[in-house]
Amino acid sequence: MSAIATFLAEHRELGLLVALLLGFGFGFVLERAGFGRADKLAAQFYGSDMRVFKVMFSAIVTAMLGVMIAHGAGVIDLRPLAEQTASFTWLWPMALGGFLLGVGFIISGYCPGTSVVAAASGSIDGMFTIGGVVIGSVLFAEAWPLVGDFYKSSELGHLFLYDVFSIPAPVLALLVALMAVGMFIGAEKLEHVLARRRREGGVVDDGQSRALEVDWAPRPRRLIFGGIGGFAVLGLVALAAPERPKAAPARLGSITQAELARRVLDRPWTLRVLDLRDAAACAKRRVPGAECVPETKLGALGLAYAAGKRDLVLVGAGDLAVLPPAVTRYPGKVLRLRGGFAGWKAYALTKPAALAAGADAAARAEWTFRSALVAAMTGRKAAPPPPASIKGYAPKRKKKKGGGC
Amino acid sequence: MPEQAETTARAERFWNPYVAGVALGLVLLASLLVAAHGLGASGAANRVGVTALSALAPAHVASNPHMATLSAGGHHPLDNWLVFEVLGVLLGALVAAYSAGRLKKKIVRGPNISVPWRLAAALGGGIVMGIAARLARGCTSGQALSGGAMLSAGSWVFMLAVFAGGYAMAYFVRRQWR
Repeated sequence: MSAIATFLAEHRELGLLVALLLGFGFGFVLERAGFGRADKLAAQFYGSDMRVFKVMFSAIVTAMLGVMIAHGAGVIDLRPLAEQTASFTWLWPMALGGFLLGVGFIISGYCPGTSVVAAASGSIDGMFTIGGVVIGSVLFAEAWPLVGDFYKSSELGHLFLYDVFSIPAPVLALLVALMAVGMFIGAEKLEHVLARRRREGGVVDDGQSRALEVDWAPRPRRLIFGGIGGFAVLGLVALAAPERPKAAPARLGSITQAELARRVLDRPWTLRVLDLRDAAACAKRRVPGAECVPETKLGALGLAYAAGKRDLVLVGAGDLAVLPPAVTRYPGKVLRLRGGFAGWKAYALTKPAALAAGADAAARAEWTFRSALVAAMTGRKAAPPPPASIKGYAPKRKKKKGGGC
Repeated sequence: MPEQAETTARAERFWNPYVAGVALGLVLLASLLVAAHGLGASGAANRVGVTALSALAPAHVASNPHMATLSAGGHHPLDNWLVFEVLGVLLGALVAAYSAGRLKKKIVRGPNISVPWRLAAALGGGIVMGIAARLARGCTSGQALSGGAMLSAGSWVFMLAVFAGGYAMAYFVRRQWR
């Protein structure tokens, strides 16, 4: 996060005011782009006016290149910002949700955001669409027992295109920018062909082709294409610039028991946990997913040559006094578990004390989390309640039929 | 009347789509860098719906796992970044429409569709989108635009699916628009 963003996160009211201002800009530009008009938006899907596509992709490319340049200039760190602003990827729910949203888009003529713009400019149909979106959201929540399982299916965590294709983010951004420019040129050609066909077909000027003539002014278009190309090159330069040497203290840190427990449960793939206690103690009980690596054997892991994408968590018996030299050359983050395994035992393997009456919501949530954690870690959750003994009742054993497998 | 024709022409004048797109991208960039938050829309609609429902049936909302998460942290469902952002959208669009001479009570519809059918389609399409946006954790603003700019894989899948859904359905509702 940039310094301003951190400041705003600490001052909630001010952050909400900034949200209002940013929304103002968003709404203003959407209206001026013609996105408050259902006919203009729907025209996208009949090939006559590719406005939706052009506006959306130039916006995506602009913001994307801006983020890359800010990353290159050291204003922000790309991955933490991306993980904070983008949701996880749930592959199939998102694909189906997108398809349905497209269907609703062409039926209503708006998307949820543009319906707000339409309503603000006086469109009754826009107001009806807002109402529909509100009703649809509530209907979804009401259908939760039916849709909940699908909603949570195919979760892939934070997944970005540069992870999928395993290429550096700025290079991928350049490819996306080039692809967008190529598609803009294609869109212009397609509109041109369709407009000519319409004219030849004897369709009189219907206003849509008049709007097209305005779009055909070549100067601003060239300027924008040139600008996108220029910024893409700037992004590449940022890539070529030598990687900023990261200050060591930022890379070496510590992690609390609560943080570790949550990450082990929610995002285990972001961690690599090394248990440095002696092999016998570690074999008996350890943090889930931990590798048993006594300190003397750390060198054999070749941590200096690891990719460093996962955060390394070191678990000692208690607090680790000194970091073993082998881990300091790990390229990613190295976190010491505060309190070591003794702390883990107290936090995650011991039932929390009963809540005092009148505990606040945060304390209740914390207690709930810890109880669930203890139950999950010690297997108590799975234990069935003791059977009620009933006089004169013996459970019937089912006779085994045949072999079975 | 020439005067009226002139105002109509003025009201039809929109920004060049590339200029509008870059402007939109700069607003989005500002949001990402300044607030570390993407732009959204459907999330606010969801919160409005849940608030309305909890005024009618509070126990019902509290018992629904999907709706109960919205008031987590002790805040009112409407005390939220996205809700304020969408309020801003409303104001921004109002000012833009007024200053461009487009602020007028109207029903935007194709030449071959009656007013009641147009409104029914607007409502029905909205309901479909409301369901879709919850399923996908966002709409064209939150997923396609903001997530797309951050190169999230799911957002790009979503965006392609939106275009696929639109083109697939376009043929069946062509009477509404042409």
